[in-house]
Amino acid sequence: MKNRALIALPKGRLYEKAVDLLGRAGIRIPPAPDGSRKLVFPDADGRFDFVLLKPIDIPVYVESGAIDAGIVGSDVLREREADVYEPVDLGIGKCRLVLAAPAGVALSSAGSLRVATKYPRTAELFFRARQLHVHIVKLDGSVEIAPLLGLADAIVDLVETGRTLMENGMHELEDVARVSAKLIVNRTAMKMKSADVRHLITLLDTVVYENPGQQK
Amino acid sequence: MDGNIVGLPAGYRDIMFEDAALRRRIETEFASVFSSAGFREIIPSAVEYLDLYSRGNQGIRERAVRFLDREDNLLALRADFTPAVARIVTAHLREMPLPVRVWYSGPVFRKTDRHSGQYREFSQIGAELIGGDPPDADCEILDAAMQCLVMSGFPDVCVHVNHAGIFRGLVNSLGLAQSELAEVRSAIDRKDMRALGTRLEELGVNGSVRAQVSALSRCVGDSRALAGVASSIDNAESADAIAGLEFLALRLPRWRDRITFDLTEIDELEYYTGVMFTFLSPAHSAEVGRGGRYDSLMREFGADLPAVGFSFSMDKLGECA
Repeated sequence: MKNRALIALPKGRLYEKAVDLLGRAGIRIPPAPDGSRKLVFPDADGRFDFVLLKPIDIPVYVESGAIDAGIVGSDVLREREADVYEPVDLGIGKCRLVLAAPAGVALSSAGSLRVATKYPRTAELFFRARQLHVHIVKLDGSVEIAPLLGLADAIVDLVETGRTLMENGMHELEDVARVSAKLIVNRTAMKMKSADVRHLITLLDTVVYENPGQQK
Repeated sequence: MDGNIVGLPAGYRDIMFEDAALRRRIETEFASVFSSAGFREIIPSAVEYLDLYSRGNQGIRERAVRFLDREDNLLALRADFTPAVARIVTAHLREMPLPVRVWYSGPVFRKTDRHSGQYREFSQIGAELIGGDPPDADCEILDAAMQCLVMSGFPDVCVHVNHAGIFRGLVNSLGLAQSELAEVRSAIDRKDMRALGTRLEELGVNGSVRAQVSALSRCVGDSRALAGVASSIDNAESADAIAGLEFLALRLPRWRDRITFDLTEIDELEYYTGVMFTFLSPAHSAEVGRGGRYDSLMREFGADLPAVGFSFSMDKLGECA
């Protein structure tokens, strides 16, 4: 019992989609009674153990081996540069990471643009690849108001529909990355919990690619 | 400033009493196995030119802890033992009859990300056999490694074995351009078999080779699993490599039950040229060491000699004891 594979689920925007996908793969996550539950809980059939974590922490847990596998957005994964396997692109939580700015700001004017973002590492790599010198301002939330308040000239942030950008008077300048959720697996767990982990991979791979059902 | 007198810099630690005694005990057991197997100890310098790490395993140079000496030479604290062994053997080649068997134990230093929870000083113990060809030298080094582990109190330890030539032979038969190869490698490193299959199909790789790649990507098991893959392989390099692994298990009946052939693990393919070992402690679900054959490294140091070795993390051994 103790050696069931431990899998991290992301709190927040991905959670419902991840639970739905697992459900379609035959792994039923019981709803939390009164919104509270034990830190670690099994699925309805007791095949795997799950733990709920903030997405940004999931790559660290999985890389270290404290947790065997996890579901996390590729945005967070790239930012953390975790050394883990990514056996399945789950195709959920699709969105884009974009460079956006208020009207009048262009990428070419980037002599020393200040760019606010929750993804400093990803942003830095993006600008370096374009040989643009910018100043990154790392923020933890509501990045889109940074230009309005004069903290930054532009932002690198997630866009799902583009509505938030529009409401804040900004437009997209360029795509930084396409984002979707990935299954990530610890390198040692792939060997030591091989049967469990491979079973999980097969279940998810099958539901994503061969039997997509009512994919959103 | 006052705080720095009793504090330690981030990423470093002191090892105390019981933990120190445990490490001493493990090292002593290893030393006795090494000695009876004909390996001699060397204590490489703790400081090297940073340039030493521009050869062999890439990524080490980036992570080396570097500084300048009085003459403004760029130096590094020892960041890996194997390049030092290669340097030493190359320098003393004339005095040493081949093959050379050496072992070492000590700290290595590597930069880690701030607040990543990782230490910057690691303790390693390992051995290298230089100037010995497969399969004999491979068997000898694996046997020594397993004896070290079992003698020093890790009775359940097991080893996952792979051979770089299996995948290399398959990839070479694809005839891909460098950039295409990089994409294929990236999918493999992530173990994203779906992306790999799609990409190979887009690149016009025929179905038979795709089926072989897919068979490799699933092969974890005993000799039977290996034989299953062997039957589908149709290039000579891969077939030879598989035969080499079969031979290894045959020659080491004592360890056969602990050997798992894992053809799915293909990290560090640039570095290893032949067998690859990953030593695991099932009870702790932990990797305790790695090793393998790296015949091209010595050539980069100017001595064209085959080499095979292994290295254990004393830190991991200490945790799993």
